This record gives sequence, structure tokens and C-alpha cells, in this order.
Amino acid sequence: MNNPQQSARVGLFFLLGIALIWVTFETLTGGKVLKDEGYTLLAGFESLKELKEGDEVRMAGVRIGEIKATRLGARRAEAVLRIDSHVAIKADASAVIVMAGLLGTNYISVDLGTATAPDLVPADQRRDQRSWVARHVPFLRQEPVPAAEIRTRVAPDLNSVMTQVGSIGQKLETALGNLGTAFTGDGTSPGLIQKIDALVTDNREKLSATMTNLQSITDKVNKGEGTFGRLLNDTKLHDELLATVTEIKAGITEAKTFLANAQSIIDHVKAGKGALGTIVFDEKIGEDLRSTVATIRSVSDKISRGEGTLGKLLNDDSLLKDAQAIMKKADRALDGFDDTGPITAVGVVYRGLF
Amino acid sequence: MNQLLRILEGIGSTVQLLLRAASYAPTLPRQFGRLIEQCYLIGYTTLPIVAILSFFIGSVLALQAGYSMQNFGAKQFIGALVGLSMARELGPVMVAILLTGRVGSAIAAELASMKVYQEVDALVTMNIPPARMLVLPRLAAVLLMMPVLTIIANLVGWFGGAIISSATSFIAIDPASYFATMRQQMEFSDVLNGLVKAEVFGFVIVLVCCNIGLNTRGGPREIGAAVTRAVVVSLILILVLDYFVTKALL
Amino acid sequence: MPPPDTETADLEKPMGGTSAVGVKVENLSKSFGSFDVLKGVTFDVQPGEIFVLMGPSGSGKSVLLKHVVGLELPSAGRVTIDGLDAAEPTTREKVRMALVFQAGALFNSLSVYDNLALYPREHRLAKESGIRDKVMRALQILSLEHAAQKQPSELSGGMRKRVAIARALVMEPQLMLYDEPTSELDPVMSATISEIIATLKEQYRVTSIVVSHDRELALGIANRVGILMGGKLAYLGSASALRQPQDGRIEEFLHPKIDLKNPRFKKLEN
Repeated sequence: MNNPQQSARVGLFFLLGIALIWVTFETLTGGKVLKDEGYTLLAGFESLKELKEGDEVRMAGVRIGEIKATRLGARRAEAVLRIDSHVAIKADASAVIVMAGLLGTNYISVDLGTATAPDLVPADQRRDQRSWVARHVPFLRQEPVPAAEIRTRVAPDLNSVMTQVGSIGQKLETALGNLGTAFTGDGTSPGLIQKIDALVTDNREKLSATMTNLQSITDKVNKGEGTFGRLLNDTKLHDELLATVTEIKAGITEAKTFLANAQSIIDHVKAGKGALGTIVFDEKIGEDLRSTVATIRSVSDKISRGEGTLGKLLNDDSLLKDAQAIMKKADRALDGFDDTGPITAVGVVYRGLF
Repeated sequence: MNQLLRILEGIGSTVQLLLRAASYAPTLPRQFGRLIEQCYLIGYTTLPIVAILSFFIGSVLALQAGYSMQNFGAKQFIGALVGLSMARELGPVMVAILLTGRVGSAIAAELASMKVYQEVDALVTMNIPPARMLVLPRLAAVLLMMPVLTIIANLVGWFGGAIISSATSFIAIDPASYFATMRQQMEFSDVLNGLVKAEVFGFVIVLVCCNIGLNTRGGPREIGAAVTRAVVVSLILILVLDYFVTKALL
Repeated sequence: MPPPDTETADLEKPMGGTSAVGVKVENLSKSFGSFDVLKGVTFDVQPGEIFVLMGPSGSGKSVLLKHVVGLELPSAGRVTIDGLDAAEPTTREKVRMALVFQAGALFNSLSVYDNLALYPREHRLAKESGIRDKVMRALQILSLEHAAQKQPSELSGGMRKRVAIARALVMEPQLMLYDEPTSELDPVMSATISEIIATLKEQYRVTSIVVSHDRELALGIANRVGILMGGKLAYLGSASALRQPQDGRIEEFLHPKIDLKNPRFKKLEN
């Protein structure tokens, strides 16, 4: 029936199998029975957009984990983030969904937070709390319970930005109109110049970023490239953009006359004449300008990343020509006002546009 | 209708057999000799064919993957592809199919001939339940041997893929980077997944083949028919179960 | 798993059943599909008796035997052994019975010795040394000592049958059932088997039911004889009474005359 030799062979065979399974296990888990799988965080968003399971989580561009699961929470979308256990996330750090590439891959970007803030999850809790069985054994596997919830921010998405851009023209018109009236009015306060200067100083960084973005677009436009056109095309957005560009053109004409006016006002001021003191550059206009600048910056950010319908836009000849024309006008207009002190305020509006 | 009835009858008798065999589980220690014998037949003697086949499956996998992936410049992922395919799918399924052909058919033939030549009846009159003496040791043996066979199939397949990847001129991935990507992209749970799958397959194959063998009626001619039926049913079950088990394990 | 004390008790038990059992067959009917094999057969077998069931081929003798051991379930009626329903699986646990199959039904994967030793081993009736004694004794009774290590496939038909009987003996049954124990055997071997059956009964007080169409055996060893024809009992009575001339059908069965001038197959043609 069975003899010692047979038993020995079976025994040997079985031990071989166990040994091989062990070797595989060692190799694939790095020999740690309790492999550190890091900890999990919950992040709630209004919409996860294109975010999928397995997408990366980055902090300052460095990969620190990935999306473990996406699910629908109470009136919001939730992403479960797995974070490497050696990474400390500050309590005041916030997460934002970012588009990473032309292929529409998204990732979650977590900012550094402030250095003095406490850790969101203390170091001693930053390891997977599940047992080995719950992590590895099929059928008995359990999902990890998020250790904490991270704050989230909303990055403006292209659609909402474009609608906003659509109304910018109007806002700008009013703003410029107000400004024009303000300038031509009978104000006498010397506060105007300080205010304008402050505005410029506040926004100088943003402005230079905007200009860099603008430069790269212009380059692309000049080269007539349109390779991302294939990637996305939303006719609605395209039309909106077209309309926007028209509006912007109108705005520029307006701005030019305004600038001319401004120039004369400045001359006036320099000459010690006029009644600028009474011109109240009211807070509302400043705020308007600021938000306009921000919105436009984010649009140009996106544009420089080649997202959205811009491919189409850049492929469209008439648009290209329009854009080029605007650029030229802009250059010409700007030539006259560089380093002209208070006039930079107008430059802000002007550059912000592009 | 008749066909459907027969299928239901088959399922019913298989489940009954399983329950009966399970109820005798405490007698396993004193059937140790039989368990060893079955382990020998199911595991040890099946090893060579498993090794040979998995080597070639691993090789072909690497070859095909290399050929199709070179166009995407993704051939450095061959290691991961071969590793995952072997561990999660091909290893368990291939071992199960070989087990059907080599062991399942033998079990069906042996039990069918025992039934036809009244040996099973003799056991029943001796108050030795066939489920205890004939089925239980086989089920236990397959549970013990399946993981061993599968892990060997996996490893041999991985090595087969590694050898082919480095030896084929249009792939030319050296084993070190082959295994590096494999290690990077694979987790032990992938392997464990495959082992669980193999256990399910092996258990079902042996159970079904035992049941078909024991339910053979008629003359010696029926032995052949029983073997054919056992193999066909096992193969169908492997592929159907594969889907459901994979889904359950995802 | 039986406690150790029963094991020793079993060891001390003499070979042979502790007490013979009676079998009652009540109005037993069995049909396979539309084919009725048994049509209301009724008889009983006294404890310690040798009951020979005769009948032409296909009359349902073997089927009846299978009902007694519970391998077949009756369509109607029932078989009881000491009042226990033979169809219940638990009856097999309470009553030790052994069936000697027509073809032997030896376990082909086991040697002769292991064939015999299987029952006591499986039921842990004795230690290995005790089992060897029992097995060798049973082999001795059937003069099979030399065949102990042979495989069933190496045995002749007669030896297979004797091994089957030996295997039944090792079980120390209370009820022995023989299915055609002398078919396919030469006359001397048939006589030997008949003697064995009779001797066993005398030595061990076991109830025996023998299915056979061997007239010599029936008349030689039976206490009572039943003749099954077409699924019904055509005769039930003592063996000695059977020596008297019977009615046509039974007489024809018991003493068929070979009539070359008027062969039976020609009668059928007309």
C-alpha cells in the first residue's frame, strides 16, 4: 500500500513546496511578515473628477502614496489615500486634485503645511492597523480604516474658469469705466497712487508668472503648434473662448483709450495739478481687479499646460490671427508704459488680461 | 429537461458526497497511510508534467508579451506580466487542467471500476463508507498538494520567462531586471490568490471525479464513459469557477 | 473511535457471530423502470439456518440478496433482520453481515492478505498481530495460506471465490450471504465450497442465505430451499421435500432432460 520510501518522497515534496512558498513570500514582501503598508487618510471633495483608484498622492511633487479607494460619502465624494508611514503630513496641510498630464491622469497634491503645525497623524499611529490576515488573506481581507481626514481645497476647473472669463470682459469694462470716471472726476486725495502701488506690489509675483505663461503660449502660437488639439475638444468651450477673445479685444481698445487718458492724468499729477486726491480708488474696484487677475492667471496656467479646448483654439486660424494681433497690440501698448510708476497699475490690468 | 435533471442530480450527489466525506474528517489521522499514498499519486507523480508545461507556458508568455510590447516600448514590464499572469491565472488553471487529465481521470476510472466490479458494494456491506475510505483521503491529499504544485508551476514558469526574455534577441531583458520588475509590481497576495484558486480547483476536481466514479452504473463500458464525463465536467468547472473565484478574490 | 476496552473484548471474542439473526422478507417487490424483477416475495429465514434460494438466471435472486444487505431499496414491502429494516444504513452497523459476491468483488488494489485484513483494520477490531492471526486462520480454513501475498488479479476464479469467502469469515458475521458461490467452479471445488458453507454453519452458528442454481449444493446442505421464478416464489420448503417429484416447472428446472430429438429451442420456434 505505502512504503517508507513513498512517505519520504511525499514528505520531501511537501517540504519543498512549503520552502518555495516561503521563498516567494520572502522575496515579494521583503521578508517582513508585517509589511508596513503605511496609513490611510480620508479626503472629501465635491467631485473627484477624473481621479481613479491607484492614482498618485504627491507632496511637493514627490510621490508619497496612492489613492486606495474612491467612494461616495455623505453628500460628497471621498478618496481614501494610502500614505507611506515615514511621511508626516501637517494638520494644516490641504489636498487638492491636480491634472498631471495630457492623458488626463490626475493626482492628489498635498501641500507642505506650516512647519510648526502638529502632524495630522502622530508618528506612532502611522502604520497599518490591520492584522496580516486582514491584509493578505483572500475573503478575510478588510479595508483599512482611515486614520484621519485631511483638509481639501478646490482647484478651479476649466469649465467654471471659462464661464468666469466670459464675464470678465463685462466686469473689466465696468471696472475700467469706473476707473476712467474716477480719474476724470474731481478727487484730491494723494492716496490713489499709494493704493495703486500697493496693488502692483501685491501682484508683482503673480504678474511675472502670468507673463511667463503668456510667453509660452505666445511661443506656441507663433510656432503654430496644435498638437494637443487632438486631446480634448469641447465646442462649447471653444465658442466661449472665441467670444471671450472678442470681448477682450473690445476691452483692449477701451484700455488703450483709458491708458491715453491715464497718461494725461499722470502728466497732470506730475505737474502738480488736478484733483486726484478726491479720486477714490474704491475697494471694490481693487478687489475686482485682483480677482480678475487671479482668474486669468489660472486660465493661463491651464493654457500653458495645454489642457482643454485650447488645442482647438490654437489650431483655429482666425483665432490664431486674433491672438497674434492682440499680442502685437499689447506689446506696442506696453512699450510706452514700462517703468512709469503709477501707470503700472494699469499695466496690471493690461497684462493680467493675457 | 432530462439533461437539466441530470445536472441537478449531479450537483446534489456531489454536495452530499462532500458532506459525507467531511463528516468523516476526524478519521483522517488513522487513514494516514492512505493519505500519503494519495499525496504521492496526486502531487509527486504529477510534478514532472507540471514542471515541463509551466516552463513552456512561462516562456511563451514572455515571448508573446515581448513581441507585442516592443511596439510600446513597454517590454521592461515583461517580468511583471509573466509573474502576475503565472501567479494569478495560468499557474493555478494549468495545474488544475493537468490534475484533471492526470489525476481526475485516474480517480474516476478507479472508482468507476470499483463500482462496476462491486468493490464499492463490498465496502458498503462491510460497513466501510466509500466516502470515508475512498473520497476523504483524496480530498485531503489534493488540499495538501495543490499549493505545492502551484508554487512550483509559478516558479518554473517565472524562470522559463526569465530565460526566454534574456535569450531572445528582440526582447533582451536580463534576468536581474526581469525579476526586479516582477518584485516591484507583484505582491505576495497575488501569489496567495493563485494558491487559493488552485485549492478550490483541485478540491472541486477531485470531488467531482470521485462522485462521477462512484455513481457509475452498468458494465465495464461505463468506466470509459465515466472517465470522459469526469474530465469534461472538471474542465468546464475549472473555467467557470475560475471566473467566479477570480471575481470573489479581486 | 471505540474505546480500548471494546477492542480487547473483540479480541477475546471467538470467531463467528455472537448470535445468529433471523431474516424476514415481507411482500418484497422491486422494479427497475417498468421491469418488475420481484413481485411480492415473502419468506423468512430462521437464525442459524442455511436457506438456499434457487431459480433460473434472471429470476431476481441476486437482486433479492442485495435487498437483504441494503444495497438495493425495495419498491414495496420490506426486509427485516432481527426486526431491523435492512434498508436503513444503521442496520449494517448493528448487524454484522457479509456478502460473498458472485465475482468475488475483491479489492483489486490490495493483496489477498490486505483484502482480508481491511474489515478488522477499518473497524479497529484488533491490533495488527491479532488481525494477522484472524486472517491466517481464515486463509487456513480455505487452504489459501500460500496466496496471502498475491494480488487478486493473479488468482483463478475458484481462488477468488475462496478468498471472498475467507474475507467474509474474517468479518465474523452473524449473517452470511452467498451469491452463486459455486458457479464457474469445477465439481470438486464446488463440493469443497459446499462443505465449507455447511461447516461454517455448524462451527459458528451463522445464518446463511445461499443464492445458487447448483442442485447438488442445495440438496446437500440446505435446511430449506426457496425457488424463485419470474419474480415470485414458486417453491418454499425443506430440501428433503424437494427430492420428491414436483410440478412441471420446478421439475423441469431441477431435472432438465437433454432431449436431442425434440430440442427446446425448436419448440420455441414453433
